[in-house]
Amino acid sequence: MKHLLKHFSLIAALLLVAGSAVAQERAAILTGAELTRVVPTGFYFQGLSAPTQMRNSAAARFGKDRYVISGLVDTSGYSADVRAKYVGFLITDSAISLNGESLPAGAYGFGFATEGKMTVMDLSGKDLLSVPVTNDKTLRRPRPLMMAADAGGVRLYSGKDYVVIAAQ
Amino acid sequence: MHQKFLSLVCISLLLPFALLAQEPEKPKSQQPMGGVSTGAATTYTSRRTVGITDPSAPVVFEDVTDKTSIAAFRHRSGEAAKDYIFDTPSGGVAIFDYDNDGRPDIYLVNGSTLAALRGKDKAPRAALYRNLGNWKFEDVTDKAGVANERWGMSVAVGDYNNDGRPDMFVGNFGVSRLYRNNGDGTFTDVAEKAGVARKGWSTGASWGDYDGDGRLDLFVPGYVQIDLNNLPPNPSDVGKSGAVGANYCQFRGVPVMCGPRGLPGEGDTLYHQKPDGTFEDVSVKAGVNDPEKYYGFSSAFVHVDDDKLLDLIVVNDSTPKQLYINKGNGTFEEIGYPSGVALNENGREQAGMGLAVGDYDNDGRIDFHITNFSDDSNVLYHNDGDNNFTDVTFQTGLGEVSIPFLGWGTSFVDYDNDGWLDLFVVNGHVYPAADAHQWGTSYAQQALLFRNLKGKFERVGAPPGNALANAWPGRGLAVGDLDGDGKLDLVINNLDAKPVVLRNVAASSGHWLGLKLVGDVSKKSPRDAIGAIAYLTTGNVRQRQDVFSGAIFCSQNDMTLHFGLGAATKVDKLEIKWPDGSVESFDVPSIDKIVTITQGKGN
Repeated sequence: MKHLLKHFSLIAALLLVAGSAVAQERAAILTGAELTRVVPTGFYFQGLSAPTQMRNSAAARFGKDRYVISGLVDTSGYSADVRAKYVGFLITDSAISLNGESLPAGAYGFGFATEGKMTVMDLSGKDLLSVPVTNDKTLRRPRPLMMAADAGGVRLYSGKDYVVIAAQ
Repeated sequence: MHQKFLSLVCISLLLPFALLAQEPEKPKSQQPMGGVSTGAATTYTSRRTVGITDPSAPVVFEDVTDKTSIAAFRHRSGEAAKDYIFDTPSGGVAIFDYDNDGRPDIYLVNGSTLAALRGKDKAPRAALYRNLGNWKFEDVTDKAGVANERWGMSVAVGDYNNDGRPDMFVGNFGVSRLYRNNGDGTFTDVAEKAGVARKGWSTGASWGDYDGDGRLDLFVPGYVQIDLNNLPPNPSDVGKSGAVGANYCQFRGVPVMCGPRGLPGEGDTLYHQKPDGTFEDVSVKAGVNDPEKYYGFSSAFVHVDDDKLLDLIVVNDSTPKQLYINKGNGTFEEIGYPSGVALNENGREQAGMGLAVGDYDNDGRIDFHITNFSDDSNVLYHNDGDNNFTDVTFQTGLGEVSIPFLGWGTSFVDYDNDGWLDLFVVNGHVYPAADAHQWGTSYAQQALLFRNLKGKFERVGAPPGNALANAWPGRGLAVGDLDGDGKLDLVINNLDAKPVVLRNVAASSGHWLGLKLVGDVSKKSPRDAIGAIAYLTTGNVRQRQDVFSGAIFCSQNDMTLHFGLGAATKVDKLEIKWPDGSVESFDVPSIDKIVTITQGKGN
């Protein structure tokens, strides 16, 4: 019985540690003043700075002070070929994963291709990674861009399509 | 027992990680619809907006323009190259009975040119045509004093001073006008004196008594801020030395005029009418000033939640639409996103242009149809009640067919008098380059007529050689029974062209009833009854028609309510909910005519 109790305590401790780690990295979706404080009003990409569509911006905090920020920009200043693949920015101050693909801290451009993929580019427009999106048919009121909590981190939505961003 | 307990703990421990490790759902490709020009840039081998005819289609409308003096009117807005955004969206049209002779008249808004604004050319003139009956019209513009001679965009009709004579607000790119109807065939511009001489770029305005004091108030959307001394780069300068930002404004890789995206938007204005007949700007106080400065194009005061307070919808170009619910304390709550009206079903912002207001499925609630850019569908929002709307565009048959069209004026119109609201949509592109490229669209475009089959729509084909087979650079649209035959006719204001007058000659047409409503000012209902709702029952069909100002696209329908009755030879029930919220029922002894109904004279 004593042995069994010892065993149980160990498992309970493990459970608590694991739970605490998950809680530490659980994402909080920012709103209101917290959101506007972190979202830049414009973003440089491939030779131009374009204004952020603040209504279409979102941010999440992982743990205490790790942020992921995303927003659509007004791409009217870009040539048609750039506009075809670039719609907004993704800024992260620590390493994250997009649908499991690693992305180091940095500022990136991104776009959603018609074949159901999200492509992340460096600031020169070079493709860095491309991940498949998931279509959320249950989402009742989709938005051009938003974040929502997910068991694995946060979902970054474009309309009903999303990718999962997780802290690393 | 203990082992079982341990297993349970282990499973609990592992479960969260198992869930975290779940594979994402298999990706699906995006649907080819969405926001502003978000459709795929497909290359087409044919244009789908001109020359589409059907020899078996019924003849519904006859183009009678050239049989009238209205054929002399020429709209003009900027130069043919359409180098600037202000060259492209003018202008509206109104059908209203300005002289109260029982025959609806026609007012056509005109645009202008940069040269005219700079005093180097004669300004184009708007025109008022008096309906003499039998499809004869007299140009009374000079006598009436309503030529405007500014860069006209819109017209909204409302009897703001409750004297029984309809007045006109003319929204301009520049200073707007309020034409007060003097009752002797003349109008006086009292905009400055009344406090509504709005500067900037005023678009589709709407009259409505939002605070229930019996006096009409005025909402005016603002579009884009333009500095005429510092114009945006234009496509004609591309390639010239010293041209600035030639790359900035392209459509499918082709240089085009700039905007609206990339240009600063303009806020909206709500004017509250004071007891002395002047107006005060209460936009900020009321919460409808549009601080985000979306590109406003169309608006309408209308009952969304069916309390006794008028709500407000604003259609914006390339930005979310706004739906304002009247809180009854002089302020509004904006619920565009939660209501579902701000975006389409895929969460995309669209290039909102025109707005049709009506209960298309006869469920007693007001619905909205909104026109958009080419490579995107128009959108139909069904009112589910409780301030919830659902985008039902594709399931009602209005989606796919509208994608190549760039829509402007849109209005529900029961053209066949069967008791179900049909839909008419006016189209035309903003880029002349559309004719030089295989974009599947064209500069001038056919209009679209949809027949309502009890809540679903089907396109009514265009017989070869018929009016609907023609393509126009359409903008404004107005509906009214111009010849008093009980069938609704149409007037279209075309960009840089003559207007089109369409006479309804539909062979299959049911019975009808027209209602002219007169509000009781002493009961705090505006005299022209804007904000009133008529519910008419025949058999098991209960229709709803609202008296409203504006909407369509910068235009005004005749405010006489028109009910198609189908085969019914009598009205079983007619109820009027007046602007003050009171409800009366009325007997309708006979049909197939227009009846005037005055508040307080019912049962």
